[in-house]
Amino acid sequence: MTDALTLVSLLLVAASATAAVAVRDPARQALVLAVLGLALAVLFTVVQAPDVGLSQLAVGSALTPLLILLSVRKVRRRGQHEGGDR
Amino acid sequence: MNGWLVAATVLLAAGFGPVVWGVATGPLERRVVAQNFGTSVVCLVMLLLSQAYVRPSYVDLALVLAVLGPAGTLVYARLLADDLGDDPPHANLLTVVAASAATVIVVAMCVATGPGRATVKLVLIGVLLVAGNVIASRALAGGFPGAGASTRD
Amino acid sequence: MSRRMRMWVLATGGLAVAVLLVAGYARLPHFGGAVHPYGERAVSAALARHTANVISSVNFDLRAFDTLGEETILFGAVLGTVVLLRQTRDEREVPPAPAEVAPPVRRYALIMLPVALLTGLYVVAHGQLSPGGGFQGGVVVATALHLLYIGADYRALEKIRPVGTYEVGDAAGEAAYLVLGVAGLLGGSAFLANTLLPYGTFNTLASGGTVPLLNAAVGMEVACAVVVLLARFLDQAVEIEEDNGSAMGKES
Repeated sequence: MTDALTLVSLLLVAASATAAVAVRDPARQALVLAVLGLALAVLFTVVQAPDVGLSQLAVGSALTPLLILLSVRKVRRRGQHEGGDR
Repeated sequence: MNGWLVAATVLLAAGFGPVVWGVATGPLERRVVAQNFGTSVVCLVMLLLSQAYVRPSYVDLALVLAVLGPAGTLVYARLLADDLGDDPPHANLLTVVAASAATVIVVAMCVATGPGRATVKLVLIGVLLVAGNVIASRALAGGFPGAGASTRD
Repeated sequence: MSRRMRMWVLATGGLAVAVLLVAGYARLPHFGGAVHPYGERAVSAALARHTANVISSVNFDLRAFDTLGEETILFGAVLGTVVLLRQTRDEREVPPAPAEVAPPVRRYALIMLPVALLTGLYVVAHGQLSPGGGFQGGVVVATALHLLYIGADYRALEKIRPVGTYEVGDAAGEAAYLVLGVAGLLGGSAFLANTLLPYGTFNTLASGGTVPLLNAAVGMEVACAVVVLLARFLDQAVEIEEDNGSAMGKES
């Protein structure tokens, strides 16, 4: 049963990591990245590395999305300004 | 053979597999709902894993996720309010499913743990998780009405 | 360089990396095997110093010098961000408009703020006993403060977040780690050696010698560093705007 659990979490990490690369829009990518972080946290816990899993959860669940979305907002606002000037 | 481990594997495969699909495809509304539901699923998986491995300290992962996960969804609800504004996602059914699953798992673990400080912690995690999930769903369905492009909050 | 040439360079580099990786993996112990030479030594060293969480013992005792390096990387990264994202001459600060937040979300954020703070401090304080420690707890503490941005608006957050104080806290946390290292050098045997304090009772809060203190130093550094980092990002996203005249063309 341990092998099955490891296999399932590895597959989930592979699937969500592929999706994180394949999705092109940064806002949507941030969402996939959050889910990838959750999958990674499960994988780390399954291979008995809860410290690493906790780091992943702490950084990935709120901090990384906030940084990405703030950057997206800044870039979009700059785009709007430049669009208005021309 | 360990029942908790089986439960964790089944929950991970049946609950988180669709979440990965839901977040990778489809409109933005569906993706945020999938992310919010995924937080609940993984929090419950962490609880089951701590019971399966007989490591009470692994519960801390579920605690941190129950605290930060809904905060993460609120970040999306706040900063993507413009994009979600036209057709805010309503996922009442999914919220009810997550809340009932959380209740069942937390109660089962409390029974298995017996009275003590560990049980109080489990109940706290359960309450934080359910409350956070409900609030995050409500926020996605229109919790930030004025956070549009016109206001710079 | 022509396109063909570039592809050759890429292929050579990729091949070399692949060879090195395969050679490295071939020498690794098998996955899930019964023999763990490093693990056994680390566990016995951690138990000898009454540190229940072996990972904390590895991070803050056996390889505390590595952790100093990691802490310094974060410190340097935040310093770089502060320099890069400063307000430049052709930018102006616009006071942010208050945001509308639904009352349940506001209540949730205000209730969760102290709960999350406490969770973060709990994770820092129990680093030597259970999964977690300074880094994880510090990030939770910093995230907790930003619940005020989610639950209210940026002006409310700015009131409880004098960035200068957190910059000082960032430096103080980094310095505290160094001071503890030098204390090990002066009072004990070597830089960052865990020989200074009594090891305490196994599996209690006061155990592990200097491990909890180093955890606290890292926790303070990380919490303050993340607050400063997010402050720069929030300023850029919410407050700072380019002057209209210079918005065209000139990228800074």
